[in-house]
Amino acid sequence: MTDQIEKAITREYEAGFTSSIESNTFEPGLNEEVIARLSAIKGEPQWMLDWRLKAFASWKKMPEPHWAHIDYSKIDFQAISYYSSPKSMDDKPKSLDEIDPELLATYEKLGIPLMEQQMLAGVAVDAVFDSVSVVTTFREKLKEAGVIFCSISEAIKEYPELVQKYLGSVVPRTDNYYAALNSAVFTDGSFVYVPKGVRCPMELSTYFRINEQNTGQFERTLVIADEGSHVSYLEGCSAPQRDENQLHAAVVELVALDDAQIKYSTVQNWYPGDEQGRGGIYNFVTKRAMCHKNAKVSWTQVETGSAITWKYPSCILRGDNSVGEFYSVALTRGRQQADTGTKMIHLGKNTRSTIISKGISAAQSNNSYRGLVKMMPTAEGARNYTQCDSLLIGDQCGAHTFPYIESRNPSAIVEHEATTSKVSDDQLFLCQQRGINSEKAVSMIVNGFCKEVFKQLPMEFAVEAGKLLEISLEGSVG
Amino acid sequence: MNSWFGNALTRAEAIDDWLHEKRAASLALLRDTDWPTRQTEAWKYTSLKKLEQLDFSDGSPAPVIDVSPISGLNSINLVFIDGVLQSIPADLPEGLTIMPLAQVPDEHQPWVLDQFAGVKPQQHLFGLINDTLATNGLVIDVAPQVDLKHPIHITQTMTAGNEAHCRTLVRVGAGARVTVIEHLAGNQESFNTSFTEYSLATKAELEHYRLALQSDAALTIGGSHFNLDTQATLNSTIVGYGSDLARIDVDISHQGEGTLAKLDAIYLLDKQTHFDLHSNIEHTAPNGTSDERVRGIVADKARAVFNGRIHIHRYAQKTSAELNNRNLLLSRDAEVDVKPELEIYADDVSCAHGATIAEIDQLALYYLRSRGIGLEQAHLMLNFGFINELIDQIPNAVLADWLRQQLSGRFTRMNEIKHSGQEATQ
Repeated sequence: MTDQIEKAITREYEAGFTSSIESNTFEPGLNEEVIARLSAIKGEPQWMLDWRLKAFASWKKMPEPHWAHIDYSKIDFQAISYYSSPKSMDDKPKSLDEIDPELLATYEKLGIPLMEQQMLAGVAVDAVFDSVSVVTTFREKLKEAGVIFCSISEAIKEYPELVQKYLGSVVPRTDNYYAALNSAVFTDGSFVYVPKGVRCPMELSTYFRINEQNTGQFERTLVIADEGSHVSYLEGCSAPQRDENQLHAAVVELVALDDAQIKYSTVQNWYPGDEQGRGGIYNFVTKRAMCHKNAKVSWTQVETGSAITWKYPSCILRGDNSVGEFYSVALTRGRQQADTGTKMIHLGKNTRSTIISKGISAAQSNNSYRGLVKMMPTAEGARNYTQCDSLLIGDQCGAHTFPYIESRNPSAIVEHEATTSKVSDDQLFLCQQRGINSEKAVSMIVNGFCKEVFKQLPMEFAVEAGKLLEISLEGSVG
Repeated sequence: MNSWFGNALTRAEAIDDWLHEKRAASLALLRDTDWPTRQTEAWKYTSLKKLEQLDFSDGSPAPVIDVSPISGLNSINLVFIDGVLQSIPADLPEGLTIMPLAQVPDEHQPWVLDQFAGVKPQQHLFGLINDTLATNGLVIDVAPQVDLKHPIHITQTMTAGNEAHCRTLVRVGAGARVTVIEHLAGNQESFNTSFTEYSLATKAELEHYRLALQSDAALTIGGSHFNLDTQATLNSTIVGYGSDLARIDVDISHQGEGTLAKLDAIYLLDKQTHFDLHSNIEHTAPNGTSDERVRGIVADKARAVFNGRIHIHRYAQKTSAELNNRNLLLSRDAEVDVKPELEIYADDVSCAHGATIAEIDQLALYYLRSRGIGLEQAHLMLNFGFINELIDQIPNAVLADWLRQQLSGRFTRMNEIKHSGQEATQ
């Protein structure tokens, strides 16, 4: 079964939908002129262009990082096209009939509604579809509450003062190699602003924003929760994305001002490459949150896709009593490689952080947790608890843990625990004895293993994530 | 390249002895190695600035150093002062051969050549430096099935203004049992590197101690490295005081099936001392067991660094490996940086690691005080209890008593520093 699904996904990607040549795609290559053109097409103000150019100047001087436990051939940054206009309706498949039935079967299994299936498969959604009305009612509802939710390009034009104030305030443009690259060439992304004391009336999701469908490989997301506000943001989707980009270098910045709360959930299932490890997305993402006084930021991620995942959603706990949380499930199979984890930088008094990371490796994949917990001298009474567990399925895979713990305050308490094990024969036997076949049993055990993280996800997401794991694990046992 | 390193390379070139080929190979590697900076992962938390600034030019006459043996231990004593071996006891028990590294008889040369730089992993910069510069040292051979009652006690100490590089090779024959104590002492301004390579044959048993008790201005970098053959057993205890620069690398390689390694480490740091312990356990064969416990107390302006790596290779199924690191951070100016690492490529294993950093448990303190124990005494009891758990398990009772005494002395010193600090601020 898995073979079939794998095949379906692979075939889908190999065939692709990219045969048509679009007139508005840049020649591959990256220089100042390309950035200027990109900025001009987007109609950006001068300050934005200057910002991009400064980022580019520092990127050129930076060495490519090689510290992660991943192995890949060198990326030729000059061979990438840095701008591609959104595909027109004509280029897209006209209906679901044109989509690979096996891919649709996967969607079906995940229980994804028809409309969403069409969006995922890249079907040109007609304007009379329900989606538009959904989007409209949704926009109105948000407007009433005063919440700004738009693309970052719109925000640059319409809310320059907010963007100028917060863009790069959490992830500076010189932060790291891929963040600098993103700062120079980012094409689009989401912008969220929740005003003081507002509780966002609904969960914000990229799914609801039609223009999100074709954001390129360099997304930039900025979420600002003003004092006392509350927002939950869902990113990505649990079904396989047919994105043919090789390099995906996104930056996500979260700003939680005093007493604000942000919950950021991600389910990532980009194309992981084929059995031999050919192709697939290189996912190099920088995600970071700045937590002010009494603020709380919670990152939840379920990572099952991408050939390479290089991602460390972090929290800078600057304000007193602020809270940072990181819940992660990372599943790798085939020849996938994941190097993921978090950083919790405790600056404020009584700051607290919790890290729960569950890594599952199957087949010939490698799965690493890499984290940093840092207690600064000012972090009086701070507390951290970290738990990272790894589950190995098969004897060709690897599971690794690289936690860095630095403490400079005696009143801070740091605890780290990690275990590695396999699905035990006893557990399997017990399930089988009760009439559950081995495949179901493994999926059940894995689901139990991940429960702590899944329960942090919003309801529908959690259900989908569970199913997603089940599908990903099919054929891994026996 | 800094002047110390350049100077070391020049000195290395001049050495020409029977180990020449080995030294040349290491020298070649060394030439391709960059001097570590803060960006070098293995030296991320340990700065070599003190070594780079080393200047012995205003050498005052060195005071005589007292290296009296540990009383009651009944050990075979070997003493190095400034890297120079004082003497080898004449009446060694049967089955034990001890020779200076510079004078290894022909019949022993093949295995020594094999083991020299053969146990220690190549990537240690100072291991390579030691390969090229260590003309002093010992070669110890324990014949198969020999059960040595007396521990071998190797003391190394340095006088002010000196630099020395020592290499010890120990071969423990099949089924043999031996205790080796590597004891580094002294607190005068000096620099030494001391690397020891152990090879344990089938069913050999080694009780090992590395007492890194050099302190203050004595800069020291070294390592103990072990190869374990089938069913060999290692029981190692490491104690560190830290100094202006102190770094130890321990590598345990489980090469045969069914090996067992126990590693306990204790560090007790005060003043501005620095102590860096890197342990690396490699399981390359099935059914191995390793158990590592590291406890540290860090006070004052001291800094402790611990990097504990467990690497389980693809075929090392049924391995059980555990690492536990606990730190007491007693001062606002002190720092603890730890990184327990797991790298696992086999699925049927049971592995875990844990690390904690915190101050003394306030509830425990309250409990003791509510029973009429003074604050200071309560602190001392809890601190001591924290490490005594490991001391209690030291197999050699005489050594355990001696260590307990040494460590209490250290606690007294910590307390004094704390009080003088408090007075200064009042």
